[in-house]
Amino acid sequence: MAGEDLIVKFQQLGMSEQKAKETLKNANVTRNLQLALAELNQQPLADGVGVLIYHMATKLKPQIGEQLPLLVRYISQRKLDNTQRVDAALEYVLRCGQKKGAGVDVAELERECGVGVVVSPEEIERVVQQKVRGSYKQTLLEQRYHFNAFKILQEVRAELKWADAKSLKSAIDVEIFDLLGPKTEDDLKPLPKQADKQPKVKPEVKPSTSTESTAVGENGANTIAELMKTKVHFHAPGENFKTDGYVVTEHTERLLREHLQRTGGRVQTRFPPEPNGILHIGHAKAININFGYAAAKKGVCYLRYDDTNPEKEEEKFFVGILDMVEWLGYKPLKVTHSSDNFQQLYEWAVLLIRKNLAYVCHQKADELKGFNPPPSQWRERPIEESLQLFEDMKRGKIDEGLATLRLKLTLEEGKQDPVAYRIKFIPHHRTGASWCIYPTYDYTHCLCDSIEDITHSLCTKEFQSRRSSYYWLCNALGIYCPVQWEYGRLNMNYALVSKRKIAKLIGERIVHDWDDPRLFTLTALRRRGYPAEAINNFCAQMGVTGAQISVDPAMLEAAVRDVLNVSAPRRLIVLQPLRVTISNFPHAAPVELDVPNFPQNPALGMHKITLARVIYIERTDFKLQPEKGYRRLSSEQSVGLRHAGLVISVQQVVRDPATDEVLELICSCESAEQAEKPKAFVQWVSQPIELEVRLYEQLFKHKNPEDANEVPGGFLTDIAENSMSIVQAYADESLNRVKVYDKFQFERIGFFSVDPDTTDKRIVFNRTVGLKEDSGKK
Amino acid sequence: MSAELITELKKLTSLERAATELHDAIQCSKQKQLVSLREQNTDLIKLQLVNTKLKQRLAIIKQSIVEENKTNPEMHLDDELSITEHLEKVFTKAIATAYPSFSNVPVVVAAVNGPSKFGDYQCNNAMGLVKKLKEAGINKSPREIAAEIQKCCPDSPIIKKIEVAGAGFINVFLSKEYAVNSIINMLRDGVKPPRVPRKRVLVDFSSPNIAKQMHVGHLRSTIIGESISRLLEFMQHDVIRINHLGDWGTQFGMLIAHLEDCFPNFVNESPPIGDLQEFYKESKKRFDADDNFKKRAYNRVVSLQSGDPKSTKAWQLICDVSRKEFQKIYDRLDVTITERGESFYQSRMLAIVELLRSKNLLELDEGREIMWTDDSKSGIPLTVVKSDGGFTYDTSDMAAIRHRIEEDLAIWIIYVVDSGQSTHFNTIFKAAERCGILNPNVHRVDHVQFGVVLGEDGKKFKTRSGDTVKLSDLLDEGMKYSLKQLQERGRDQILTHTELVEAQEAVAYGCIKYTDLCHNRISDYVFSFEKMLDDRGNTAVYLLYTYTRICSIARNSGEDFSNVAAILDKYNLELDHEKEWKLAKTLLKFHDVLIKCANGLFLHFLCEFCYEVCSAFTEFYDSCYCIEKNKDGKIIKINHSRILICEATAALLRTCFKILGLKTVAKM
Repeated sequence: MAGEDLIVKFQQLGMSEQKAKETLKNANVTRNLQLALAELNQQPLADGVGVLIYHMATKLKPQIGEQLPLLVRYISQRKLDNTQRVDAALEYVLRCGQKKGAGVDVAELERECGVGVVVSPEEIERVVQQKVRGSYKQTLLEQRYHFNAFKILQEVRAELKWADAKSLKSAIDVEIFDLLGPKTEDDLKPLPKQADKQPKVKPEVKPSTSTESTAVGENGANTIAELMKTKVHFHAPGENFKTDGYVVTEHTERLLREHLQRTGGRVQTRFPPEPNGILHIGHAKAININFGYAAAKKGVCYLRYDDTNPEKEEEKFFVGILDMVEWLGYKPLKVTHSSDNFQQLYEWAVLLIRKNLAYVCHQKADELKGFNPPPSQWRERPIEESLQLFEDMKRGKIDEGLATLRLKLTLEEGKQDPVAYRIKFIPHHRTGASWCIYPTYDYTHCLCDSIEDITHSLCTKEFQSRRSSYYWLCNALGIYCPVQWEYGRLNMNYALVSKRKIAKLIGERIVHDWDDPRLFTLTALRRRGYPAEAINNFCAQMGVTGAQISVDPAMLEAAVRDVLNVSAPRRLIVLQPLRVTISNFPHAAPVELDVPNFPQNPALGMHKITLARVIYIERTDFKLQPEKGYRRLSSEQSVGLRHAGLVISVQQVVRDPATDEVLELICSCESAEQAEKPKAFVQWVSQPIELEVRLYEQLFKHKNPEDANEVPGGFLTDIAENSMSIVQAYADESLNRVKVYDKFQFERIGFFSVDPDTTDKRIVFNRTVGLKEDSGKK
Repeated sequence: MSAELITELKKLTSLERAATELHDAIQCSKQKQLVSLREQNTDLIKLQLVNTKLKQRLAIIKQSIVEENKTNPEMHLDDELSITEHLEKVFTKAIATAYPSFSNVPVVVAAVNGPSKFGDYQCNNAMGLVKKLKEAGINKSPREIAAEIQKCCPDSPIIKKIEVAGAGFINVFLSKEYAVNSIINMLRDGVKPPRVPRKRVLVDFSSPNIAKQMHVGHLRSTIIGESISRLLEFMQHDVIRINHLGDWGTQFGMLIAHLEDCFPNFVNESPPIGDLQEFYKESKKRFDADDNFKKRAYNRVVSLQSGDPKSTKAWQLICDVSRKEFQKIYDRLDVTITERGESFYQSRMLAIVELLRSKNLLELDEGREIMWTDDSKSGIPLTVVKSDGGFTYDTSDMAAIRHRIEEDLAIWIIYVVDSGQSTHFNTIFKAAERCGILNPNVHRVDHVQFGVVLGEDGKKFKTRSGDTVKLSDLLDEGMKYSLKQLQERGRDQILTHTELVEAQEAVAYGCIKYTDLCHNRISDYVFSFEKMLDDRGNTAVYLLYTYTRICSIARNSGEDFSNVAAILDKYNLELDHEKEWKLAKTLLKFHDVLIKCANGLFLHFLCEFCYEVCSAFTEFYDSCYCIEKNKDGKIIKINHSRILICEATAALLRTCFKILGLKTVAKM
């Protein structure tokens, strides 16, 4: 009823029916429009006014809602006659909004919005001419139509603020045409690409990686730095009051001023993990957003252990977390702990009681469960009583579970009076026996942010419903209130990140430890050989939007390939060796060959390998009965040896008489220049050393192993067979001196990284990722 | 490399790998076992958690106790407060805050007796701290230090203000509000003792010998012991009063033998021994002269100790005679005491000898068995067993101290015995410690010694004939003197006969006790009825007269002050007049005085306090009208507040008198 009524009214503002219906879904805009309509009071609207009203209604922030009538009046009176002026008005009003109750200076508003300022076409022409014929003339003549005229537009704009954008653009076009004349053929050609690009990867690899690397969505970017600079639009430090939902109080102006004095206007973020588990790929996003945003804005980021719950903390996790942050390439300004602030938090709690904003409650945890818990009968108890009881709680006089401190506040989801403190007779690993009351996340988080003068409190979407309590608490205490921004969680398919469940996997000996390369903990990814840069880039590709993202590991693998392609030197390795003796080996003794680390770019260094009479090739590169289209070695088909300059042909196949297994090939060789060009070149090794190579496959069969619909038997029943296999591979002697985490591309196989299990006597490699996405499914 | 070799090598490598894998598997399953042990034992985990929580809570509560005591010395503010102790806490906290490294310096707080511009109490720690700070390389004047301590003093409801004066004295001015409340509480709830940890105390006093008369020497032990018992009882201790009668030993042999001769039928018929002392003298004469008698006397000792019924009966008869005599004295002096003579310890003496032998603490010395009090074998040893196998005072006192600690469970034992015995008791205490009966960290033992009573000639108090003065005679004489004094004042005309006797006894016995108690017990004193009965100065007579005068004020007002609560509901108590304030402050010293008395077991502090109260009252009464009358003697105004102060003073004095053993009478 009312809806249809509104649709009609909205259409009067110039909207299509479709748009009116859509608008109706947005309660905020609808409300603003209703208020605006009431203000307009049926008066006929001039052309374009409706659109501007709509524009204003969509952009009006709640904290300046009271200025709506003024804005509507100005728009309807055509004082604000284009979006530019409306935007300027919104901006100005918002700026005034820092001070609670401060009115709007109408004269200043009009000045700010250029009300009544008319820029004549002559004026525009004059200024544009100045630019085109003046400062830009030389560049224009050189670059002609390749020159981006937007720069001129911007400059003119700076001078003629209220000039109409359209007429400005056409004036510039006219002047440029006047200068350069019509476009020539050259002008239409695209600019030649810039020369020295990164070394090209092998052609056979190229297609898959290139498609993947361009898979950056419209919200993502290739690197975190780029993402933060181009796609993320957070408020500037000190402009907290301009953000959605920010609550301005009479102290806001002073608090923000003092905040800026303390920080010097620097961006300050924090990464606040609970030190109760191991970091996983989801945390990588949080780390990247917090540290990355600070870095991009030349700000700082704290690593804060949110250690308010004494039951959950274990020392080993603390070390691991910092280790992983540093591995991802970030350096916290300082490592802090929520528990550092226990005393301050306690004093604030007392202050809240004194202000009658908190009370001691004796409802049991059970009573508070469920949807509609009964309200507390202790809500209105005298302040003095709560003070005494809270003191008693602190002094250990009240047993666990018999009292909590609750805030007098209703959360967005309707939750009544969240708990701020509860009793736990558990020693805290940092404060020992000093406390038996511990603050909750809701209570602690925002206050610690305030203490650390955080500018942007970035958190995942689940916490959106806590934003109002966040602001309420800071304002109740009259302390600086940071701005909370939310982004969507990152979930990895085919993965499991719960601490308890991983512990179960370890207990069941399905995986070896927390850093088993089949897991998605950060230590596991490092062990598997994923470069930190790749993880960061992957996070950048995911973007910072509110949507929860679920991706397949293939996305991450693609990012890994992108990085390793340009950073992992190539080596020849055979995983399943087949002995080949070259009957007509052209040298008297084994020879050393120089092989480029990156065949596409020999400038990036060489390494030596040995070529001898006996070589080993991959067993799969020889076939007794080749199928059609087979390109490698068979009894009838010769194959080239990479980097050796030789082509070999089979003379004799030596078999085990008992099993018929091929034991050795006797081959003849020809120099590659003389021989007919083989269909393929394969890798080989001579005088090899042995490597242990661990090959990994996806651990779980289903996308969501924890989902009871997908996997009714529970995640333990969803383990893929042979998710890890070990082979003894042959490598050239030059791989003898590798260090842990050294990464290589084993040509034609994939990317591999040295495992920490490596010792002087035993070299262990992990397969990081195959060369192609489907390499594992061959 | 031949193909076989390679195959062998491969085999070896794979074996090696298998071995490593097995090793890992074993490690893993070990861990798993541990984990599963924990998982299965949910009870264990639960209990461990409960244990952790209890420990944490205990730690928190302990910390809370420390904090609450530290930050809130005033939280113990109640009727049982000792002002000095409270101020010591305040200054301890202040010094700890101002100079944390000297927080263990003992705080010196004293009441100020001079003009009140220097406050009511004074803390003099600044001077001492100057030295200590200097040693630590900090030069500060005592005044500076005093100022810093003053700044750090926590708020206390009993303090009005704190000032630094002179060279570095910190003067404390008491809060009138606090004083008013304290006096009101005193009126409403009665006079309360200061709060001290409650202990079981055993007081050994009086202790006369059977068959001998009590003399002035016993008088002192009896009076002092009784008052100490009353003091400690008032302070809520659990007091056991013990009369360590001399009812055992060789003299009983000769008494029994003599009894057998004089009254052969004593078993069936109580012998009429009027004068036991005379009886004793006769037997002693025979003992010294007649060897046969002597022999028989020794035999009787043996038969008595072995429990022979006839000898025991004789012994009991003799003891009963003495006991009756003693009880008369105790009744007159209002003394309560439980008899537990040396005979009581007969079996325990055997046991203590056993104990000492088993601990190898006994040593043979010319036929005797002696015990040294320490390993260095210096000083005087105890003679535990005589060469004839008999026991000594050392043996019985060791048995007694063991019984008192181990069976009576006394924490504090007080021996009220004359100074001549101090070496003996020190030896006993040391020996008891050495053999593990006495633990100085737990037990406190005091030998409350006292000096001798002198005659007016300054020599030992004797009768004119040179005999020791019998206690009963002395008391009789006191009664005569007091009657004489009452007659001189014409009281015999005013008071009824009963009232007169009451007053006579109150004055007579009160004087004797008070004279004994009001001197420092360690010094000797001159016994003089003349001085005792003086109604000026620090005498019982003065105190009793003042007390009756105080009591008469309320009575004379014509109003009923027996229900103080009702008066308090109607009228405020004010301490505006300088003399009112001075009297009130004097009354508030009560707890400090009691603590001081109990610490050193000196009662003269309490006597001095009573005198101070009476003097302060006299000053107050001289300058503050309680009842105003017109020329016709008609009451025109009653100052209720002041009468309440009078009532409080009377209540306090009554309490003090009770401890000192003075009987109050309404009229005198």
